[in-house]
Amino acid sequence: MASVVTEVDGRSLTLSNLDKVLYPATGTTKSEVIAYYAAIAPVMARHTSGRCITFRRFPDGVDGSSFFEKRCPSHRPDWVPVAVGPGDRRGIVEYCRLEETAAFVWAANLAALELHAPMARCEDLDAPLMVVFDLDPGEGTGIAECARVALDLRDICQAVGLEMWAKTSGSKGMQCYVPLNSAHTHEHCSDFAHAAGRLLAQRRPTGVLTTMGKKDRVGKVFVDWSQNSRHKTTICAYSLRARPEPTVSCPVDWDEVAAATEGAPMRFTSDEVLDRVQARGDLFAPTVDLVQHLPVAKSG
Amino acid sequence: MPRAIWSGSISFGLVSIPVKLYSAISEKSVRFNQIDSRNGARVRQMRVNAETGEEVPYAEIVKGFEIAKDTYVTVTDEELAAFAPDATHSLDLECFVDLDEIDPIFFDGAYHVAPSTVAKPYALLVRAMEEANKVAIARFVMRSKEHVAVLRPRDGTLVLSMMVYADELNAASDIGEFDDVAAVEVDQRELAMAESLIASLSEAFEPESYHDTYRDKVLDLVERKSSGEVVRADVTAAPSADAVVDLMAALEASVRAAKASRSRHPSAATKRAPAPQQAARKQPAAKQAQSAKKTAPKQPAPKQPAPKQPAAKQAQAAKQVAVSVAARKAAPRKSAAKSSPVRKSA
Repeated sequence: MASVVTEVDGRSLTLSNLDKVLYPATGTTKSEVIAYYAAIAPVMARHTSGRCITFRRFPDGVDGSSFFEKRCPSHRPDWVPVAVGPGDRRGIVEYCRLEETAAFVWAANLAALELHAPMARCEDLDAPLMVVFDLDPGEGTGIAECARVALDLRDICQAVGLEMWAKTSGSKGMQCYVPLNSAHTHEHCSDFAHAAGRLLAQRRPTGVLTTMGKKDRVGKVFVDWSQNSRHKTTICAYSLRARPEPTVSCPVDWDEVAAATEGAPMRFTSDEVLDRVQARGDLFAPTVDLVQHLPVAKSG
Repeated sequence: MPRAIWSGSISFGLVSIPVKLYSAISEKSVRFNQIDSRNGARVRQMRVNAETGEEVPYAEIVKGFEIAKDTYVTVTDEELAAFAPDATHSLDLECFVDLDEIDPIFFDGAYHVAPSTVAKPYALLVRAMEEANKVAIARFVMRSKEHVAVLRPRDGTLVLSMMVYADELNAASDIGEFDDVAAVEVDQRELAMAESLIASLSEAFEPESYHDTYRDKVLDLVERKSSGEVVRADVTAAPSADAVVDLMAALEASVRAAKASRSRHPSAATKRAPAPQQAARKQPAAKQAQSAKKTAPKQPAPKQPAPKQPAAKQAQAAKQVAVSVAARKAAPRKSAAKSSPVRKSA
């Protein structure tokens, strides 16, 4: 099947190479990737809406080479809106925005398996709407250690009156989010995340670190607070990952996180995520509009 | 920030205004490289001696002016350097004229003229030229060539429109077909009709509404091919409306085939995948905690051998990726062929 013309919500699209295997280990084809994104789009769009989306495309599947695509392709359909986001050496960059199911289908057809977004919406790039903690397990650690760190982070945030949500990264680690949806700067978010990370590292110096050095990470979970800077992006909730299997960055509840510290697997493939969302709804829904305020740092 | 390509001074009378020139135009054509379709390698140019066929070292190449067939006068760079106009770094304004006096056929490229140190005298000149509604004929030397150009105000800044010399224009009288045109007599009715047609098509000129659609299409083709899409060269008409199918219908056949091939060859397809996947699937979140202790230690085990299995394939894939896009074009079936063996084993 070379290509097929289809219509999604009145938007005309040409899909190509549907039988192409993008995940060789599981035989997952592009048609299955598109079907996943088409099904998850109504939920996922709440979280991508208004954001400058960076595509990570895998034209030859997850075993082939990939590239990050910030600049929205010039051949995009005219109904895929763009927004100016953080620029690069070549000047301003117009990113794709994913606002509707058809746009997700279009992106999936480009083999944009991974969708990444910054913390701010494009109408105000200097106003991050959430704080993110990217928990990256070092050598010898895994999801269980990340889950333990996530619970500690949650305690710290609760102590200052902030609610936190967690998701798997879809790869090895996890991300925790503190929704703000109120006026904050990237510096404030970054400082807060860094401070919380250091507090954790003090509590459990053998298990957590907040510095980048790769070799220091052995046996520890790296709390990457720098993801809060203006130009950084983080994997979107419900995005596929380019792992051997089609795993997804999937929102989880705190019972699941607690179970994961005991060794329960916390890893979800696209099919499982669709089942979960059907059964339990969007666990990340409250992050879209919950208004919270970071504590203001005391001087000195 | 673009780079200045010339710097010097506008000079007229006793006034001298330091300026820099920036290109006002970036030509946007599509540039291709030449590729050997057999192995995807770049094609390199080599200078060879027309008689011996041997490569000629750069140092041995001199300029030759053909005075008769196969007879050349050779000149050295030193000889030419003696005649090169001095790079005076001066943009001399010779006179001021009305822009309408200049036939647009003379125009050839444009530069932005920016003040290089102080803005005041520059701004003064812009204003004065605007008030006088005049443009200046300028002469200057750039890249050892003397140029004539028009310096004119445009939206509060100066633009230098380069001009060709009058003796560089090809005369229309050299073209025979024009002779017939002068002899034609037009009748008034036909003229009135043509004029009304012109009037009906008259509108404001909007430069933004014109695009190089060929370039857009070529870049689109490149983009699609680079994302692995097999592009067919046939230029059939756009698919008719009744060819449009519902998304799920469009995906269904392919999704079903993929799922079927997995269940048909479960051993091959899911050498690694099924164990953790199925296990995880069957356990609703709540149950995971209890059964976790048993399944957890097992989980890393199947993970290890997995990457090894596709390793050979990976190497193969890497090789294919290394082959340039152009090579892929030469063998468009490749991507299809590549996926089918994987699916068979999958």
